[in-house]
Amino acid sequence: MSEIVLKDVTKTYDKRNTVIQNLDLRIEDGSFTVLVGPSGCGKSTILRMIAGLEPLTAGEMLIDGKVVNEVKPGDRDIAMVFQNYALYPTMTVKGNIEFGLINNKIPKKEREHRITEICETVGLAEYLDRKPAQLSGGQRQRVALARAMVKNPKVFLMDEPLSNLDAKLRGQMRSELIDLHRKLSATFVYVTHDQTEAMSMATNVVLLDRGVIQQADTPFEVYQKPANVFTAQFIGSPTMNLFCRKDVAPYLTAQLPEKVHKIGFRPSRALPVADGEQPQNSLTVSGKVLTRELMGSEIIYRLLSPFGIITFKTFNEEELAPDSSVTLSIDRHSMHLFDSDGQRVEE
Amino acid sequence: MKIFSNIGKTICNLILLLVFFFPFYWMLSTAFKTLGETMTFPPALFPANPQWENFLHVIEVIPFGHYLINSCITTIAVVVLQMFTTIPAAYAFSQYDFKGKPLLFGLTLITMMIPAQLVFMPLFILFSQFNMINTYASLILPFAGSAFGIFLLRQRFNQVPKELLEAARLDKASELKIIWKIFLPLSRPVLVTLALLTFIGKWNDYFWPLVLTTNDTVRTLPMGIVTMTNAESGTPYHLLMAGNVLISIPIIVIYLFAHKHIIKAFTYMGDK
Amino acid sequence: MKKKFLSIGKPYLLIAPAMAAFLLFSIYPVMSMVQLSLFDWNMISPEKDFIGLANYQKLFYDEDFRQTLLNTAVFTVFSVLGDIGLGLLIALYLKKNTLVNRIMQSVIFAPYIISLASISLLWMWLMNPDYGLLNAALEALHIPGINWLGSPQYAMLSVILICVWKSVGYDAMILLAALQSVPENLYEAAALDRASWWRKLTKVTLPMISPTLFFLTIVETIASFNVFETIQILTRGGPQNSTDTIVFSLYQYGFKFYRIGYASTIGVVLMIIMTLFTIVYFVLLSKRVHYQ
Repeated sequence: MSEIVLKDVTKTYDKRNTVIQNLDLRIEDGSFTVLVGPSGCGKSTILRMIAGLEPLTAGEMLIDGKVVNEVKPGDRDIAMVFQNYALYPTMTVKGNIEFGLINNKIPKKEREHRITEICETVGLAEYLDRKPAQLSGGQRQRVALARAMVKNPKVFLMDEPLSNLDAKLRGQMRSELIDLHRKLSATFVYVTHDQTEAMSMATNVVLLDRGVIQQADTPFEVYQKPANVFTAQFIGSPTMNLFCRKDVAPYLTAQLPEKVHKIGFRPSRALPVADGEQPQNSLTVSGKVLTRELMGSEIIYRLLSPFGIITFKTFNEEELAPDSSVTLSIDRHSMHLFDSDGQRVEE
Repeated sequence: MKIFSNIGKTICNLILLLVFFFPFYWMLSTAFKTLGETMTFPPALFPANPQWENFLHVIEVIPFGHYLINSCITTIAVVVLQMFTTIPAAYAFSQYDFKGKPLLFGLTLITMMIPAQLVFMPLFILFSQFNMINTYASLILPFAGSAFGIFLLRQRFNQVPKELLEAARLDKASELKIIWKIFLPLSRPVLVTLALLTFIGKWNDYFWPLVLTTNDTVRTLPMGIVTMTNAESGTPYHLLMAGNVLISIPIIVIYLFAHKHIIKAFTYMGDK
Repeated sequence: MKKKFLSIGKPYLLIAPAMAAFLLFSIYPVMSMVQLSLFDWNMISPEKDFIGLANYQKLFYDEDFRQTLLNTAVFTVFSVLGDIGLGLLIALYLKKNTLVNRIMQSVIFAPYIISLASISLLWMWLMNPDYGLLNAALEALHIPGINWLGSPQYAMLSVILICVWKSVGYDAMILLAALQSVPENLYEAAALDRASWWRKLTKVTLPMISPTLFFLTIVETIASFNVFETIQILTRGGPQNSTDTIVFSLYQYGFKFYRIGYASTIGVVLMIIMTLFTIVYFVLLSKRVHYQ
């Protein structure tokens, strides 16, 4: 059991700058929860409050049902992986991994056993006597992970741990982290600004903007049913198309509830149709192709329509030439509807 | 063109060596000469017969051993004492926020501007009121604090990344352990440099023993050597130079091993 | 509650030893000196006579002290210029990181770490009018020997020479570090702009190292105001007061003539001069120094 609960939490810096106000959040036991949002949204602050590195201005923090507001970071049974790894530069790899164990008064024999085991797992066995400066970025990342794992914590906190790696290594580490989570069955709390990372690893996504939770759900739900305009546009690449109802009304053949103010659709759901065809129950519009980006398996186009620029994505081998005319159709069921407050209109 | 500039460079280097190194050669050479040889003109480049006994002479003529012990005691005591006052103060100034911090730090910096040459007289009076003239304490205590050391070390402590301390706190390290295992190892070059600068400064110090002592009880080597200039039968330059060689040896040995550290200390000031 | 007090008091506890040392051995003597300057006292008698500002008045009309001030000013100007000017030349010359240059750096820095007492004795020997090396060298060039430290017109020059010789390595090393931290691409950009060697020096190098030049000027000025050991060992202020400096006359009045009040007055004046110089430097130069 290691459920983390934030109750009515407020965080203010220097008595003026409120980053988080009256936030409630439950992080399920054993989940891989990703806190995601643009920079300055308060995600790192939440992580650091869970770690005990930042005191709460108001509210309660519970781990396993116990209030931990006054519990020191070292006594919370958590481990943290920092963005820049924060390895102790004067200690060897072994010294880094062992430091926390020594402070927790774990006997030497047990320490040796654990370190050997962990280093086998993450593949550091031959580097134990090196200093961090002598390691590559990926190896440092592994030391940071090993240092966290060796403590057998209930909770792993990770603050953008992959952002300093190159793209290829990042992809690899992503799958390794998913594996690790499955093996350890501990609670992972992971902070990132990268929605792809969030979607690919999380069992639960918590989407934040300006200190307020926009949506907290499984990645599937967040993608399929974005709760509001912010979520809709933050998750998914390329970004969801979003237009005002009154602008697109002339091209709309579908019936929509009265309160719908904005209509969104994902680029992959805008499908080219043959000229002159008028599919029922949809939004159908023609325009001129502005740009084309070849991504490999897919092609992303930008289309100039009478009501604005539409991004759409095809998986066809066949290319549309720039300046060519295309008619797009978006099915009624692919549309995301939002009211005038930007909230999802449920049907 | 290239050859020309190489020749130019060699000439420049020779001139610099002549100016900065030759005097030391002359000191060494004179140290091995006889009194008679120091009184010939023009002087000879090499001693005819190296007089090793000049060094024995120096050790006998002035109580060299006595001065040496005093030098060691005061120098080592000041180095150790400065570490004890400087490390905690630099740590507090770097890691804590407290009332009056800017004021107290300002005070620290101001003392850097107050040299011994300005304050010796009131301190002489102070020590004499407590009957502490000609004691080790009067030579050691005034150098207990090092504003420069606090400044330099605080600078280094400030550069220790915050995440490192947070990682250590998550690793359940106590504050003392954080200082011992993270701050001090990371600051080792600065600490070594500070110790070296203090050591060299105190070992060489002629001024303070001169103004704070009235007899030989606690006087140190530089004063001991200078007393030889008062010889009745003219100044024995061969012995003076032998004495100079003797007191410079420890410094030169240290310098040979640690001159890189000393250069580093000064680049810290410019870095970051 | 007790714990809370401890955690508030902790930083004060940590700085207490250092602060105690500063208060007792730097701040107190300065205060004490200001106070003593208002008295007439010979250190031995238990009575101190309060005489107000009489010491200052006397000092103001003291011809010898005027000479002392002038000597100190001459010494300061030339030794600071010499240290920084020659130091900069040496630093520029040794800038390239080669083995030979590194050896030369160590050699030039060496005098800085030898005791000023030893250095003074060494130069006393080198400048010996009868058997000294310098005069032997002059003789070899058919130039008549000089009474370096024994004649009024050369004594100050000699002392300045010795002091610059001793400390120029320090300035050179600091300037060298500053030079090496100037980003190489600035010079590359300047080269693309077809800047001459001189323009590179004055438009790129000097502005970039100006904080260091500023720092050295203050440090060297204050050190020069306090010149003492060389004078005490080599000339004792003479001949004819030509090398009598502020600190040396402070020492003489205090420890030789036991005129503590008058000596303190000299100390206070020295302190005021140093403070004024520091302020003036900061005001004048901080406007023109380029900080990154």
